[in-house]
This record gives sequence, structure tokens and C-alpha cells, in this order.
Amino acid sequence: MSQLTNELNILPQDAHFYINAFHDLALEVTGEIYENVTVERAFPLKAPDEFIVVKDDQKDEIGIIENIRQLDQDSLDVVQDALNQTYYLPKIIKIHAIETNFHIPKWTVDTDRGPRMFEIPSSRRDVRVVGGGRVLLRDADGNRYEIPDYRKLDVESLAFAETIL
Amino acid sequence: MAEPTDTLEESLPDEIHAKLSDILQPDETIHFSTTSDIRLDGAFGEAWLLATNHQLIAYSPDGGGPPDIVRLPLSEITSIEVKDLVGSGQLKARTANSGATLSRFTKGLNPKFSDVAKTLETLVKEAQPGIENDKLLRGKLARSASGVRCETCGTVIPPRHDVCPNCLDTRKLLTRLLMYARPHWKLGTLSLFLLLTATFIGLLPPLLMSELIDNVLGPISLSDPLFKKEDAYSQLYLLVGLLFLINLSQSSLSAIRSYILSKLGQHVTYDLRNEVYQHLHQHSLSFYNERETGRIMASITQDVGRLQDFISDGLQEAIRDILTIVIICCILFYMDAKLAALTLLPTPLLVYATLKFSERFHRNYRGLWRRWAGLSALLADTIPGVRVVKAFAQEDREVGKFQVISKDLFEGEVRVAGIRSIFSPIMSFITSIGTLIIWFVGGGSVLEGTLTLGSFVAFTQYMFRYYGPVQSLCRLNHRFQRASTSAERVFEVLDTQPDVVSPPNAITLPRIEGKVEFKDVAFSYEQGKPVLKDLSFTIEPGEMIGLAGHSGAGKSTLINLICRFYDIESGQIFIDGHDLQDISLNSLRNQIGVVLQDPFLFNGPIAENIAYGNPDASLAEVVAAAKTANAHEFILRLPDGYDTPVGERGVRLSGGERQRISIARAILRDPRILILDEATSSMDTETEAQIQEALHRLIQGRTTFAIAHRLSTLKHANRLLIIEDGELAEIGSHDELIAQDGIYARLCHMQTELSKLRAL
Repeated sequence: MSQLTNELNILPQDAHFYINAFHDLALEVTGEIYENVTVERAFPLKAPDEFIVVKDDQKDEIGIIENIRQLDQDSLDVVQDALNQTYYLPKIIKIHAIETNFHIPKWTVDTDRGPRMFEIPSSRRDVRVVGGGRVLLRDADGNRYEIPDYRKLDVESLAFAETIL
Repeated sequence: MAEPTDTLEESLPDEIHAKLSDILQPDETIHFSTTSDIRLDGAFGEAWLLATNHQLIAYSPDGGGPPDIVRLPLSEITSIEVKDLVGSGQLKARTANSGATLSRFTKGLNPKFSDVAKTLETLVKEAQPGIENDKLLRGKLARSASGVRCETCGTVIPPRHDVCPNCLDTRKLLTRLLMYARPHWKLGTLSLFLLLTATFIGLLPPLLMSELIDNVLGPISLSDPLFKKEDAYSQLYLLVGLLFLINLSQSSLSAIRSYILSKLGQHVTYDLRNEVYQHLHQHSLSFYNERETGRIMASITQDVGRLQDFISDGLQEAIRDILTIVIICCILFYMDAKLAALTLLPTPLLVYATLKFSERFHRNYRGLWRRWAGLSALLADTIPGVRVVKAFAQEDREVGKFQVISKDLFEGEVRVAGIRSIFSPIMSFITSIGTLIIWFVGGGSVLEGTLTLGSFVAFTQYMFRYYGPVQSLCRLNHRFQRASTSAERVFEVLDTQPDVVSPPNAITLPRIEGKVEFKDVAFSYEQGKPVLKDLSFTIEPGEMIGLAGHSGAGKSTLINLICRFYDIESGQIFIDGHDLQDISLNSLRNQIGVVLQDPFLFNGPIAENIAYGNPDASLAEVVAAAKTANAHEFILRLPDGYDTPVGERGVRLSGGERQRISIARAILRDPRILILDEATSSMDTETEAQIQEALHRLIQGRTTFAIAHRLSTLKHANRLLIIEDGELAEIGSHDELIAQDGIYARLCHMQTELSKLRAL
């Protein structure tokens, strides 16, 4: 196994991320500076903080951050922020209603980013329970939402959720 | 939810205008102002983006704190970038030494912000005359990902629906459906008449019962001296006779009615089914590409069936139910208005409970159905993959996975069982309230002598007959909905106009020479994604042309265009000097023969498959074709020879055998233009040799287009067309192209290297 993982281009722990003058994410590593880098999760669901692939502005891979917690605090903050922007995923904290109109359930919810209404065309395709009660949703336009653990929702929300799950 | 906004000009609220007044110069005018739905801090909410003649301003209220205001002067902007991220999008602008995110928005606003970006690009160009154009705007926003919205009203169109249910007029739809029943109006009227009569007769027995109690059985106990037993008997016999007649006529009426109705329904289905199937065959390939096969099949089988069910059962039942309710109400109110009003009191409760329950039922059943589907999906996944499971020794894990899903299903079933088990008791309880009222009030009236015992009994009976129709009417809405969805799907097939059609005064091609000419042909399957661009070339009659290039370069598309499976976007294609658009489709395709990589055989005997394009071919011709195709020998080895059924899609034959049959099919058709699409890939060497030989005979004297990934199979080609990114990159013979040392030479080189590797 160790031989296998040697092939991975893991960034050293002193890799430093910062926001440059263009408000882009930049990376300084082993004396080199990369402007306007992008960060992508290899395991967005299973390990959102691990195996973060860093690409340069030509979308070529520079390397992989094994775990963002190993970065220095400033780097951690900016990388975390960049990830949160790329993977915009509001958490649903309360379901007010799921009304079905013309076969399409329309959800009215409160999220950690504010209230929201959205439609889910196909509950079979666009609602995924990924274990531990975590539910991922995708609405008609491709926006994503999550319920961190549907079993912990309040009674009213749970009643709505259970008709869909 | 995204509200589709057509205009980028949204009027700026005064309060925001007031807050921006410090920033704006006195001579500044606002070019446009528009909103997004995520603020710069990442929370949902309204944020503004403005462009004046000097600058871009992003104004984003920050929850509680001071608003985020970002400003960039138009004259310094060097790039505008849209980012299509996971779950949202962003608009960013840069100057020579700084940059800022101007807007964040949900995916529903992608179309709007594509336009915003373009508008900004124009503004920046105006502000900086002579700026380099092509690098100003970067990135692209994809259109809506999973669902499709209706273009007129913005409603999400359910998957597999294709028609916006909001813009659909249900009544119009059902009227249209009834038009199909119109040719059979005599049957319809007759069955309606029978229905009315049967309903009416069916409601008589309680009245007889009342008569029996009050005038025949009741008086006995009074030991009236005037009472004559004989009279009572004759009345009894009369009533028994009447009841017999009523039951008999009701049964026979309903038997006749049900037959007539089914016949009517079948007539409509028959007409509709044939019309849909006939219409299906007029559509071009793009119609099929856009839809799943299962969905198309369902509209012929399921949907049409549901419509029949609705016409013959649903509608009539609804009429019967309404009629029954009206008649019963009339009778009850006639007998005793006060008691009738009291008896019917529980009706709203019953309606409410039925509606509530059916909604919950429906929802939970859907959930249950999803769980069942999950279970079947797992089975469909693992059982065919059992070799892999065993090879990796993962049986226990698969069993575990199954148990999890099975448990889910169990819980769902239990929940539905719970609802189901309280449903009937609650319903009977509600109905029993009616009985209680009759006993309490009606019983009192009988004691008082204001109501006869017979009417009392009749009341009870009518009441029970009243609740059934009420409940079934409550469920009518659901039935209506289902029927209209089916109707809409069926009519959608019927209403879609075929996009590839022969012109009204089409030329019927005589037997052609086989000259093919492309002139500036451009084509795309999806708008904005060109597959072929300005393709021009001329192929002489009898030439064999090899088509090569990377996968996705447009080779198969080119062939689809020659067959006119699709219409080109611009340019012209000529066959023997005739524009393809002017030729009748049949006369064109009659001269084209196709041999595909995975030949499609229809379920039927081999001989029929060979003669698929020429059903009138003689047996001698079929055998001759098979011989030329090197298929004769293996066919004779089969016990049933040419009469051997090939099975669905030809499963009982090997790939090479199927291929030779399809070559025989092409030979028999004697086409002037021949298309070989990867005809020899995935064959073993010996089979390939036989097929090559057969093909070689086939191509003699015909214009041939051959696609092949293995370039060695193109060695007989007179010329080769190399397609790269939808453009004609190279054209010429093998030797010429090798001498050119271009794409073809490189491809050849790579394949020789590969075959050397294989030889090792």
C-alpha cells in the first residue's frame, strides 16, 4: 500500500495559502508561487476536509492537501472559505412544508443561510440518504442542500421528511 | 426558487439608491441594475449589481452589519469571469491590479447571469475602446442541471413529462379525449341511457321493503278484523315478483352496459394506439434520442390503457355516483325532510376524512414504492454481478446491504399497514353516526307515529347506499389527474411534428449513380455545440471512402446526414446533383444500405431478417445474398436452416453471424450508397477475414462510406476523409496522407506500435 500511495503528490505541510490582490486564492509552496489556484474535494461527502486537490489557473493539478487541518491557521481559513464557496451547501434546519403541485414537491425550509423555497423534480433521483441520517438534496436548478441528520429534526419537519425518504 | 426574470433592468428601491448616493458622482447615470439571490456573505437574500457609466457596484446587505459594497471602475476592468460552482455560481471582475467577486447566485439564475456577463462585456468595451475582445469574458454557466422549467410559466416540469402541467388545460385535454369517442356516439348514448335506467331501478328495492313492512307484514300484528290474509298474500306475491323483476332487469342491464362500455373503451384505445404508433414512425431520430425507450413504450401500452380505463370506467362511475347521490337525497327528503337533513350531517366529516386519508395513503404508498424500487435495483445490480461478488469474497457485505434496504422496506410496510388498519374502522365509525341519528331521531318519530316503520327501514338502507358514492367521488380527483397525465403524454407524441419530412413536391429519385457532394455543411445536435462545421467534399460514384478520426470527431454524424436522419443546419448535400432536401425520404433511403457495428436483427426467422428491406425477394435471391455474404454455410448448419428464429435482437446468433446476416440484408437491397459503420470491429481474426471478404464483394460498384477505428480495414479505400473536431482535416489516398505526415500518419503510426505491442 505504501508504495501505491507514494505516487500521490501530497503537498508539504508548510504549503501556505493566502488571498492575493485579485482576491484569488494563491499558494506558496517550496519557494514557488501559484496565483489563482482552485481547490476541489476528492471526497465531498465522505471526507470533506481530506484529499483536497489543488489546481493552477490552467486546471492542472499542483498537488493534494492530505488534510486541511495540517495547514497553518491562516491557510486553513482561506482554504476552508474557498471550499465553502465552491461547495455551496446550505444546511436545512427546519422544514415548514412540502407541498406537491403538479407532481413536483415544493419545499419551504429554513437553512443556516436563510429561508428558502425549492422544488425537487424526482425524489428518487435528487434525494440521497448517505448514511448516518445525512440527506443530500438537489433542486430543479441544480442547487444543493443538506440535512445533516434528519433523525434530529423537530417533529414537524421529521413528519415531512419521512414522506419523502 | 428561481423566479425567471426576463429583464436585467430591475428598478432600484429608493432606500438603496439613497445609500449609494454618496458613491455616485453627480453626472453618473445607472446603466443597469439587477438582483441576485445570494449575498456576498453567502446568505440567501437580495443583493444588487449596478453598472453606471463609470463603474460597477455590488451592493449586498450584510446581516445586521454595514452592507458590503464593492466598486470597480469600468475603464480599468480587464476581465469578467463567471464561475459555475457546485451548488451556486459567482461573477468576478478583475482589473490590472485587483479583483473582486461581484455577485453570488443560485443555479436558477444561471441564464440571467450569462446575460449579465455579456452586458457587462459590452459596457466595458464601450468604456475602453480598442480593448482586446476575446479574453474579456471568461467561463460559462451551464443551463439548469436536473429539471427543466417551462418556458412560459417557470414551473418545473416533472421528469418523463415533457409537457408543463401548469400550462396544460385539463378540461381541454379531456374534451379532446372524448372526441375520440365521438365516432362511437351511438354506443355512448346507449350505455349512458342504460346507466341511468339501471341506477334508477337499483334504488327501488328499499322502497319495496318499506311497502312490504307498512302494508303487508306490519298490519298482521294489529290483528285488524278488516285484515284479509288473502289480500296480504297477493300483495306479498306482487312485491316478491316486483323485486324479482327489478333484480333481473338490473343485472341484465348492467351486463349489457358493461359490455357496451368496454367495447366503446376498446374502440377508442384501438384508434388511439394505432395512431400513436403510426405517428411514432414518422418522427426523426432526434425524437428518439431525446426520450427513453421505456417512456415511449409506456405511452403506447400503459397510457393508452389508462385512458381506456378512464373513458369506460372512471367517467361512467362518476356520472353514476352523482346520480345516485341526487336520487337518494330526493327520496330521503321526500320521505322526511328533517330526518334526511340530520342523517346527511356526517357527510362533510366523511368527505374530509376520505380526502385526508387518501392523500396520506398516496404519499406513503409512493414512499413504499420507492423502497421497493430500491430493493429491485439492488437485486438487478448484484445478481448479474455475482461473479465479481464471489471473486472478491464479498457475499457477507452484499447480504448486509440487502438487509439494510429490506429493513427500510419493512418499516415502510408497517407504517402503511398502520394507516390502512385505522382507515376502515374510522370510516365505518363515521357512517355509523348516521345510523345513530336515524335510530335516535327516526326511532322517536316511529314511536310518535310520525314516521312509518317501513320508511324507517328504507331510510337506513338508503343511508348506507349513499356513503359509497360520496367516498368514490372524493377519489375522483386523483383519477382525473392520472388520466390527464396519460392523455397529455399521448397527445404529446401526437402533437410533436416530425422534424425531418419530405417536401410536398418531393422528387422521387431514379436509380442513382452514387455521387455525393457536401457543400459547407454545418450541423449540431444541440444548439451552440456544433458537431460538423463547414464541411465540403465531393465523392465520385463507386468510390470507397474511409472515414477516420478520433471518437466524437463527427464521423457517424456525417453518415446520419447522408441518410437524412437529421436535417442539416446550413449548407447543402447533393446526391447525383439533387439537393437532399428536395428528395422524397423513401426514395433516398431505398438506395442506401447500412451495415452497423452491432447489427440489429428483429425477432423472426433468418430469411425474414435477410429480406427485411425487400419483403418480396424470392427464396433464390435470399440464398444468393446469404452466399455472397459468406452466411450460407453457417445458416445451413442450423437444424431449421433459413427458418431458424434468431431470438429477440438476434441473441441466438454470435456477433459474426449477425454481422453476416446484416451484410446479406444489404446485398439483397442492392443499394447504390453503402455505409459500413465499424462493421468488422470486435470480431476474431478468422471471422473478420470472412466478413472482409463478404464486404469486399458487397462494395463493388457502389459508393461506400466506411468508418473504422482499425485503419488496416480501410486498406481498400480509394480515398480517406480525416475528420477532426467536425472539420475536414485531410483528404486523399493512404499513400498521399502518409506522405503528408499529418493526423492520419500519426494515427497509423500509433496503431502499428500498438499491434507490435499486441504481437509480443
